[in-house]
Parts: sequence; C-alpha cells; structure tokens
Amino acid sequence: MAIAQLKVPAERLTAWADYDGLVQLISVDGQRTVGCPHWDLVADVDALQLRDLYRDMAIVRRLDAEAMALQRQGELGLWAPLLGQEAAQVGSARALRPDDFAFTSYREHGVAYCRGVDPVDMLRMWRGSGLSGWDPARYNIATPAIIVGSQALHATGYALGLTLEDAKSAVITYFGDGATSEGDIAEALGFAASYMVPLVFFCQNNQWAISEPVRLQSHASIAQRGRGYGIPGVQVDGNDVLAVLAATRLALARAYAGQGPTLIEAVTYRMGPHTTSDDPTRYRSRAEEEEWRAKDPLVRLRALLHSEGVADDGFEHEVAAAAGNAATALRSGVLDMPNPEPAALFEHVYADPHPLLEAERDTYLQYLAEYDEVS
Amino acid sequence: MPPAVTDVRSFLLPDLGEGLTEAEVVAWHVAPGDTVALNEVLVEVETEKAVVELPSPFAGTVVELFASSGDTVEVGAPLISIETADSAAAPDVASAPTAEKVSVLVGYGPSEPAPSRRRRRGGGRTRHDRPEQPSITPLPSQPTTPGATGSRPLAAPPVRFMARQQGVDLAEVTGHGPGGIVTREDLAAHLATSTPPRQGERETRSPVRGVQKHMADAMVRSATTAPQACVFLTVDVTPTSELLGRLRANERLEGVKLTMLTVAARAVVLALRDHPALNSSWDDVTKEIATKHYVNLGIAVAGPRGLVVPNVKDAHDLGFRDLATALETLTERARSARSTPAELSGGTITITNVGVFGVDAGVPLLNPGEAAILALGAVQRRPWEHDGEVALRDVVTLSLAFDHRLVDGEGASRFLRAVGGTLADPTNLIVLS
Amino acid sequence: MAIATVTNPTTAAATSVATGHVTTMSLGKALNAGLRQAMTNDPKIVLMGEDIGKLGGVFRVTEGLQADFGERRVIDTPLAESGVIGTAVGLALRGYRPVCEIQFDGFVYPAFDQIVSQVAKFRYRNEGRVGLPITIRIPYGGGIGAVEHHSESPEAYFAHTAGLRVVTPSNAGDAHRMIQQAIASDDPVIFFEPKRRYWEKGDVDTDAPLDAMPLHRARVVREGTDITVAAYGPMVTTSLEAAGIGTEEGISLEVVDLRSLSPIDFETLETSVRKTGRLVVVHEAPVFGGLGAEIAARVGENCFYSLEAPVRRVGGFATPYPPSKLERHFLPDADRILHEVDRCLQP
Repeated sequence: MAIAQLKVPAERLTAWADYDGLVQLISVDGQRTVGCPHWDLVADVDALQLRDLYRDMAIVRRLDAEAMALQRQGELGLWAPLLGQEAAQVGSARALRPDDFAFTSYREHGVAYCRGVDPVDMLRMWRGSGLSGWDPARYNIATPAIIVGSQALHATGYALGLTLEDAKSAVITYFGDGATSEGDIAEALGFAASYMVPLVFFCQNNQWAISEPVRLQSHASIAQRGRGYGIPGVQVDGNDVLAVLAATRLALARAYAGQGPTLIEAVTYRMGPHTTSDDPTRYRSRAEEEEWRAKDPLVRLRALLHSEGVADDGFEHEVAAAAGNAATALRSGVLDMPNPEPAALFEHVYADPHPLLEAERDTYLQYLAEYDEVS
Repeated sequence: MPPAVTDVRSFLLPDLGEGLTEAEVVAWHVAPGDTVALNEVLVEVETEKAVVELPSPFAGTVVELFASSGDTVEVGAPLISIETADSAAAPDVASAPTAEKVSVLVGYGPSEPAPSRRRRRGGGRTRHDRPEQPSITPLPSQPTTPGATGSRPLAAPPVRFMARQQGVDLAEVTGHGPGGIVTREDLAAHLATSTPPRQGERETRSPVRGVQKHMADAMVRSATTAPQACVFLTVDVTPTSELLGRLRANERLEGVKLTMLTVAARAVVLALRDHPALNSSWDDVTKEIATKHYVNLGIAVAGPRGLVVPNVKDAHDLGFRDLATALETLTERARSARSTPAELSGGTITITNVGVFGVDAGVPLLNPGEAAILALGAVQRRPWEHDGEVALRDVVTLSLAFDHRLVDGEGASRFLRAVGGTLADPTNLIVLS
Repeated sequence: MAIATVTNPTTAAATSVATGHVTTMSLGKALNAGLRQAMTNDPKIVLMGEDIGKLGGVFRVTEGLQADFGERRVIDTPLAESGVIGTAVGLALRGYRPVCEIQFDGFVYPAFDQIVSQVAKFRYRNEGRVGLPITIRIPYGGGIGAVEHHSESPEAYFAHTAGLRVVTPSNAGDAHRMIQQAIASDDPVIFFEPKRRYWEKGDVDTDAPLDAMPLHRARVVREGTDITVAAYGPMVTTSLEAAGIGTEEGISLEVVDLRSLSPIDFETLETSVRKTGRLVVVHEAPVFGGLGAEIAARVGENCFYSLEAPVRRVGGFATPYPPSKLERHFLPDADRILHEVDRCLQP
C-alpha cells in the first residue's frame, strides 16, 4: 500500500537533508517526539496508514522468521535475516513511487516485499534453485547484490539514465555500514554528485558487518561521508518507521526536484546473526543485544498505536493472522519449488547463440543420457 | 466426519551450514506424546560451540525421540518422529545427508559426489568404445580414398612418423580407421606389398615385412617358448633308393613324384602310431598336453618370399600314393606363393628337407605349437658297413628336434629309430601299415 | 625497434563485399568512423570514459564525437574505472547501450570485479530477463615504448570468463565494421584495440553491410600450404611480415586472423590446419596460460590425425611487461615466429 506523497517547499529540502542531529519522530517508548522539523514530512500519515506500516513490518518480520526456520529445517542453504531492521526497510520502501527503482543488498527482503515481490520468489536464490527470483523490470527492484557495495554504482548509472531522459522518477540504493568501506561506494558517491543524479543512498547502519563493529569501518558518522562529495547527509533513527519515512521522502523530493543525491544513514541493529552460518555469541554481548531489543521498531510503533487508541485486540488478531497466512504460503511455496533441470545450467549465458556453449551443452546432455538417474 | 489421515514423519538432522558432521543434543524441549506446532522449538543442539535451536517442520504429536540429551547425532540421522495430521504429501524433511562436510560460511557446503558410478543405461558401450568425438568439428564419416584431392590423409602422429621413416606417402595408403584414418595396420599392410629396400653406400636396409616377418616371428616364438633338444641318426637307405627307382619306373605311378622325402613322410606317420607324444602340443594356458588323434604333416618349403610350412591334413588317413600327391601339390603351391591360410595352419608335426640344399644334417627349429620336427639330410654316397664289409652305400642323416616338455631323449630316440628303420628297410611300409 | 607500417593487401579484399565507398584510413580513424556510424543509427548509444569528450581520447579515437553528439551521449567520467563500468551497468538496465573506454589495458584491473562479477554474469543471474549490451573498448598490447601498465595483454582473463564476448580487430577495415557489430550485440563485448596499430592505414569500405563478415568469424588473411600461423590483434601484421620473409626462403605460411577470442572460430582454423598439417599460434601475452594454450589443446584434440608436428606457440615470457628498452626481446617478431615455424617444419 502506497503512502501519499507530500509536497515540501524546495528551500527546506536541502536544509533538512543536511541535518546535524539524529532524526527521531517516535521515541523508544512510543511517544511522538517534539521539535523535530521533519514532522512536516509525515504530517499526512493518519491512523490507517500507521496501522498499515505496522502490518507491513509485522508480516516482514514473520516472513523473515519463517525463512530462518526453513533454513534450520534444511529447506534453504542460507538465510540473511533482517530482524530488527523492519522499520528501516519498510519506512523507506513505502516512500517510493511505483516508477522509482531500487538497488539493494542481500538483506532487504522488506524492501522487496514492499515493492510487491512474491516472498516465495525471494527465496529462490537462497534455496539454490536459481541465482535470482524475479524480473527487475516488473517490480522496479534489481536482483539483490551479493558483492558488497557493487549495487551503488549500478544505481548511479540507472539514475544517470534518468537524468539523460529528464525523467521524473528517482533511484534508491541500499547498503550496510560495512559496504561504506568498499571503493565502489566511494566511486558511486563521486559519480552521483558529479552528474547530480536523482539517487538516494540509503545506508542501514546495523552496527555490524559480520563480526566487525561499525567503528572499524569508520570513525566518523556515515551520514557525514557524503559531505566530502558535496552530498548532504541525514542520520535517522532506523528503528523509527516514521523518521525513516520522513527522511526518505525528503531525499526523494530532492531527487525529483533535480537537486541531486542524498545520503541517509539509518541507525539500527542487526538483532540476528549475519546469516544462518554465523554465531554472534562469538563477538558481541547479550547485554548489547538486550539494549537494542529495548529499541525494537515494532514494539515502539505498537505502543504508539495503543496510546493513540488506534489499535485494539481486533487489529492485533488481524495482523497476526495476516502474518501467519503469509508464513504458511511461504512455506508451502518453498517446499513446492521445483528443482532446476540439468539443461538449465547452460541457459541464459548469452543473448545470441554461442557455438562452444552449445557444443558443451549437447555433449553433457548426451553424457547424462548414458547413465541411469541418480536417486 | 472421516478420520484425519495421519502420517508419522521423521525429522533428520539437517546440514545447518556450519561444517556439521554431527551435533550433540543439548536439551529436548518436547517429549513423546507432546503436541507440537509448526516451527515450535523441538531441541537445542550444539555445533562447534554454538547452540542452535531446531524448529519443528511439522505440526502434530511427538512419537519418538531418537537421541537423548548428551548423545551425538550425525547429519542425516533421524532426531525425532512426529505423527502429523497433515495429509499434504511433503517428503520427509532432510537435507542431503553427507558424511564429511567442510566448514563454510555460506550455503549448503560442498556436497560429496555419489560414492559409486551410476549405472550405464542399456549396458552400453564404455567411453573407450566410442569413436573420437571432437567437441565442435566432426570428423569426416567416410574412409578416405588415397589421393583424394583437397584433404590431407589422416593419421596419428606415430603412424605418420613410421610412414616418414619408411618413405611412404600416406596419401597412397587406404585408411580403414574411423573417418578414414590410416592406422598402424593399414600402413603395415601397405608396406607388405611392394616397397623395395633402400640402398645405401655401406649397407642396404630392407623393411621387415610379410613372409619374412612372419617367419622371424615364428622362429623367435619357437626358440623362446619350447626347450628344444635334438637327436641324430644316420641310416643306410640303399634298399629304399632301389625301391624308389623301381617305383618311378612303374607306369601306374607315372607323374607321381616319389622321393626319399615321400618315404620319410610315410615313415613319420607310421612311427607316430607307437609314439604319439611326438604328435602333441603344450597348452601353457590350461597347463594341459593335447595329444592329437590325427596327423597334419607339415612340410617346410622354400617359397619365393621365404620359408613357408604348409601341412597335409589328416596325413594318417592317406595311403602312400595319396600322401605323395598331397605333398607334391602343397609344395608346388607354396613354391608359387599360393598357399592358403588353412594350409599354413593347424600342423601337428613337420618335416624339413634340408637335403635338397646338399647338407647332411641340421638342428631344425620347431614349428611353434608342435612337439617335433624332422630334418632330412641329403642322400650321400658313403662308405658304410654292409654285410660285414665296407661298401659304398646311400646314407642319410636324420635330425629330430623335439620339445623337451613333451618328449624326453628316450622317447625321441625311439621315434627316430622307428623312422630310420623304415627308411633303412622299406618293407616296413607294408609291415607297419 | 621500428614499428613496421605494413598495409595489408589481402584483408579487405578476401571476403568483404566491396560495394562502393572504399577509403584508406588509419585504424584509429576507422574506429572513429565506426563509432560515429553506430551513434547516428542508434540514439541509445552512450559513450563513457576518461578524457573521451573534449580531448577526444588519448588516442583520438573519439575525436569530434562530443562536439557532434553532445555531452549527454559522449560523457567524460571521473577517474574511476570501476565507477565507469558499474555506472554503465545501471545505464544498460535503464535501456541504454553504453560503450565504455578503459584508457589503457593496465588500468582495467580496478574494473575487473564489475566486469567479471557483474557484467559477465548479469544475464545468467537474472535468468535471461535482463541483459547488458555493454561494449568495453580497451587499447592493448605493447610496442609503443611506453612506461609500465601501458602495454598489457589481459585478453585471456576475459576470454576465460563465461558471459563475455571478446573480439580484437587487426586492421582498419575490420575495426570499422567490428566496433559497430560489437555495439549492436546484445551481449557484453570486450573490444581490444591493438594500440600499436592505431596509426596503420588500411582499406575501409564504409558502405559494406555489417553482416557480410560475422563478428566472431576468423579470416584467412594470407593463403599458404606449409604451415598455419594463427594470430590476433597486433600480431597479425607481424605474422604477415614473417610470411613475406618465409616466401623468400621457400616456405609457404598461411596466416589466420582469429578476430574473435571468445568464441573462437575453430572451424576456420581447423580447416586451415587440416590443409597444412602444422600450426603456430602467436600472441603478445605470455605463453603460459595464454589463449595459445587453449587453441593448441583444442586443435590438438580435433586435428590430431592431421598434425605433422605438435602445435607450437610464440608469445611473451612469464614476466611482467619489461621496460621499453627490453620490449623488443619480449614481443614476438617475425624472426621468433619463423623460428617456431622452422621447428614445426623439421622432420
């Protein structure tokens, strides 16, 4: 469900995008904060839309947990959980217009969900049935990038294309705190600034890159990194869905208005392991996890909804049911997913016929035909 | 309402992607009889110092726990069985069970290949039976005829080398290998036809081929497989010479070639009746001695290309005259290089007439596969003992070489004396028949 | 070492259909003309690279194009090779046909990841739903007396990467046609330009239809009977020199210009080898692990029964590219080629 866009006066855009404080609109205990100018950006968000945001986050969390379970049950080779980052992903993705385009890393399942991708398709690459799951052009979201940081350049190029066409849409690229050390991010910031492309750089600083704390990647705030390139940066509370929504809307508005790229640092926490192969107990403390558990994005939005009297038991049940149904559909879709045929190995390498590849394919299929099936 | 379809399903310990070969059960969260929901935590297992909770893949009732707290379970082994009410036919949940895993950060980890080769369909040919299949460009499918324009002859590098050494132009050789490749055999066959020897200044080199090659191979085989010994006997054959003279004058035998060799041949056949060991062969494979009940009498002939040894089949069944005729025919054919492969194989004993070359005796080499060979020397006029006095008589030396695995000195000597006895006294031809 | 200026009399004549407009121009100018023709026909083509706009490229290959097509179609980029290729990926996703220039062979390595991890694998990763019709132009090879990193031959790394097509013209006529074909290909193409030949002139038929000679087909540029010499890029000219000397000595060399390194046209090459029975492969890149090894192995397999001698290779040594004073020892020349030819012809 899309959220209506708010028109913001141009002169305020850059000022709010180049913000020195942490943007927070909902406090940890679920109260609306006072004094943050970015409230104007989400003034239109009513109770219904708040409930939609909550429902999105709840479903995304539930899908993520189901995927974890499926991996533990041997149905997926691997899974990178987004637990704790629901607000950062849903809040930003719900700011996008349908014709905006997203380039993500391998953890933005929440963004893909908001773009309309079927969760079963999201799991194809984790199950190993394919290297991707959907048609990027259909949902305007690229196949997740596994090479860390590579997607920022792709996003820059796509946005450059929009500039060449004087198109009215924008691009958002997601990456983590670890990615900011990669050269490709630096080059992307440089190119994006030089060409003033309509691009939102969205960094989810979830504090950890596997076992490396963010302090190893940077001694300065990531939001400030863009300044060296002339790109304004704003740091937001990544567990505050309204703050994230506000900041993303702001950055998109700048992009649509031809003001160039913005860098958003969403401060959040990777509550789970890096992937199902990771063991966080080896490098971080339970105490730190508990500290961040207290800042849970769903808990605080729920508290806000309750305190404002817009969420009753009926709503809770409805959300739980929706989440449960989504999980059930995911499970059965994954278990039913057909395994690829051997011939699929050779497909889609090239657009045009390639004699060597065809010969190898024919030879291999002929070879297979000489043996009984492996049970 | 019909009863729910139930199914007891096992949850096998999955590959958790952490380099697991096994895991230790730390604590069960359920017991048999408990109702469990989908994804409800069943058990905590420990893998390399990390404790992992395993969620239930099924909803239902716990039937059995297959391990106790503290037990080590291997990946792929069953942990728990649950009776489900769910009739959806999903297969038992497990990942590919593997014995050895390598620690990996992502993914299923390396999987072991199937321990044994899959069965070939239809018991088909092995890889080695298939003709060369180049991956992109196929070979021509017909045998190339020599001299075909535009395409070069095909041959493996060693064959090319051989051809070059022999001075053969491969374009003139018909290739019978797949796609018309000239094989080693093709080249050999070509060389067996007509190439002349190369004349150098200090030596002439002739390629070894054809009959010469065959003889050389046979001789080497003979010399290296059978331990050969030889006995000699010199006999006064004057009565046989006189008999032959009278037989040749007989009109009824006109045109039939009768020589000392003919008598020797008949003598051998007759002597074999009492000395069958000289008509046997040594089977080294089965470790048996095959004693023939027939005599295929070989006769060594100097053919135009070298020594050939055709044999008279079932010589034991032939009368004197027929034997003579057979020998003559065989000899003529061999001398004009018209011996058939059948004639040249299957012999059981051989006679070689070295006497035609004027020598007295020789130590012949066995025809491989036979037990004995008799060399007949020239008939010489020699002073000899006759009726108590020295007289000039027709004397012949017989040399018998034999395979000492099959015959010993005594056996060989007795046989030779029998043969010699008939040559000395041709009445044996009648007496022994 | 003098750079030979040899015009190739047989190249344009052999198989191209000369329809009308044949001029003599340098290989660099032929590329320029080809780019111009492509950009005129397809408004989605966008050139990107360092110094390609105002300066026209350090080898002048893109001279005059920004003036004529504008800054939105000929884009000067920041100094960041990975950035150039990665941005091209995004542009291609948006529907453009980017033609990227890497300024020198030795500078492609920062972009290596974007090329092999992204460009090469994109179509496969996305199961055919999207492809990247990107052309990456790279001047390569030595023989220009340059400093370090300006004389590399990295073509094997890219030919070895599935998902990429790799081609290299040896002469002006092919350069003009092949750059257009590479750009038109819906697959990513690495286009290696032999920089020492940029100034060599050859015949270019600007009216000839592009499909008269397929992009990935090899060409027999000189017929012969005793031995086949397979070469590509800058070594084709060198091989033709060797063939000329061979004629004086009484040996007849057949020279095959491979033109395409992935895929390689083995059919043309093997037809030649079956005719001559011998093959020498020539490239500037080091022999060890070079493309000559793949060619030797495959021709050895497929032409085993036609070979009179083992396939031999001439190429650089297993050293980094040497200082310019030594490069004449590193680079194969006509003598080194004929030396290997002699070894093949020995009984």
